[in-house]
Amino acid sequence: VSPAADPAVISPQDPTLLIGSSLVATCTVSPDFPLKAEDLYWTLNGRRLPAASYAALGPSTLSVALARLNGSRQQSGDNLVCHSRDGGILAGSCLYVGLPPEKPVNITCWSKNMKDLTCKWAPGTEGETFLHTNYTLKYKRRWYGQDNTCQEYHTAGTYSCHIPKDLALFTPYEIWVEASNRLGVAVSDVVMLDILDVVTTDPPSDVHVSRVGDLEDQLSVRWSSPPALKDFLFQAKYQIQYRVEDSSEWKVVDDVGNQTSCRLAGLRPGTVYFVQVRCNPFSIYGSKKAGIWSDWSNPTAASTPRSERVAGGCDPKGGEQNTTLRRELKQFFGWVKKHAYGCSNLGIKLYDQWRVWLQKSHKARNQV
Amino acid sequence: GDSWGIFTFLCAALCNLPALPALNCSEELGAGQSIQQTYDLTRYLEHQLRTLAGTYLNYLGPPFNEPDFNPPRLARAERVPSATVDLDLWRGLTDNARLAANYRAYSRLLCYLRVLDGQVGTAELRHRLGHFCASLQGLVLSIGGVMSSLGYPLPTGPAGPPTPPGAPAAPNDFLKKMDDFWLLKELQTWLWRSAKDFNRLKKKVPPAVVTLRLEARGF
Repeated sequence: VSPAADPAVISPQDPTLLIGSSLVATCTVSPDFPLKAEDLYWTLNGRRLPAASYAALGPSTLSVALARLNGSRQQSGDNLVCHSRDGGILAGSCLYVGLPPEKPVNITCWSKNMKDLTCKWAPGTEGETFLHTNYTLKYKRRWYGQDNTCQEYHTAGTYSCHIPKDLALFTPYEIWVEASNRLGVAVSDVVMLDILDVVTTDPPSDVHVSRVGDLEDQLSVRWSSPPALKDFLFQAKYQIQYRVEDSSEWKVVDDVGNQTSCRLAGLRPGTVYFVQVRCNPFSIYGSKKAGIWSDWSNPTAASTPRSERVAGGCDPKGGEQNTTLRRELKQFFGWVKKHAYGCSNLGIKLYDQWRVWLQKSHKARNQV
Repeated sequence: GDSWGIFTFLCAALCNLPALPALNCSEELGAGQSIQQTYDLTRYLEHQLRTLAGTYLNYLGPPFNEPDFNPPRLARAERVPSATVDLDLWRGLTDNARLAANYRAYSRLLCYLRVLDGQVGTAELRHRLGHFCASLQGLVLSIGGVMSSLGYPLPTGPAGPPTPPGAPAAPNDFLKKMDDFWLLKELQTWLWRSAKDFNRLKKKVPPAVVTLRLEARGF
């Protein structure tokens, strides 16, 4: 049994066109169907095209003229459809209208712990080509070796690729990106790099921030070096940034060197601080160059103690009543510790944190 | 062109899973619970499909994403197994036939969806399709598990009329869009029908299903 013939044929079928071009399409009804040119009409993406643009080229052939086409509404192609008078679909053609790709730009790469390479890039300045554009990252060792193609895409955003293995150190690589779509190909400029020049590492782990005894203006920060450090011949230098809870302004401590602890001083008493640490591998295999800073560690919070003997009181709701209350509370907690079991967490410090939280939530409530 | 023929052939070969390992769930769960789980899965997939279909039809563009869109079903679109069936016929199905129809349909639908996944343009769609295919694979396995626990053999051989190798699935992009539309429609209808199939099975399979299995073995 031969398959049923298509009711009609459209020409051109699935063409690719440059933005701004014009097109004349024809719909020819199959001889098996009793339809004439005057029984037909066209739609583009669901909207009926004006009859003024039609022309009957034969008893069962109707054409439509499309001028100055805009870029395709969807990347799967604009739907140009030939209908019979009652709305039935006889045939369709997908129009791919767009621009050839632009040269990809801004290729940046980094290697996590000298094991792999991840690169990202940006599409050319126009960006929107209206056509599906394929990007291929290629790389080869300079002076010899074949072109290799990166396989794992979208690891660090849409325009990125990850090369997981088989990378050589101490040798320059040439890296470039090819963009292609139905209208053409564009190749980026070649970037040359040595893996050792773009090394980064994981952020430091186990970041702890704690008070320094009763000192109101200091906090102690401790962290562990990223585990990959042990395996490789590089040193690490660190940077700390911290801010007060309510502010978005970070203060940076730059001269931390390669220790894994640091003391922050000159802080405000009774304030909650957020602290982050990051790491930069340097002196890789003895080179003088620095690597790439890691991401910041997740923020850790801690508060500086507040002494009750602060004159004037920073507490706006303060007054004689509160200092008396606090003193009494402190005495109560001291007694609890001596005479009750299992209440070791209860203490004046907890009361302080509660006060901080209370002020913060009060402020938030007042702001609304 | 040629690559489509290869695709179709590969699909047919891959999808003729002759022997799915019978799930041990019959020991722990019993067919009654497996049926309930399968029912729940079809409802979940129905829900997932709504989002997937919405995204996909928007990708195809108007008129495909218009609510009243109803294109003709051309001869080539009949490869996709149809869920619509005469009511009396449906009522009269044996448990085995009912389960087998579901098993065959979803195995085939999964095949076509996987091919779609390989071709589709945007990253978001690929992600959604991939997720849906994984869930659908789970449904096929779940149905297989129910069949095994009730002592029914899994359907083997090509599900439905075999497609001639080399026959192009869709000779142009617009017809392919129509095929995709109907694939999603049939999936929707199947999931809607399966909920009713499994509801019916739920009522028929008693909690003590051990007796059923012994009877099956007695043949």
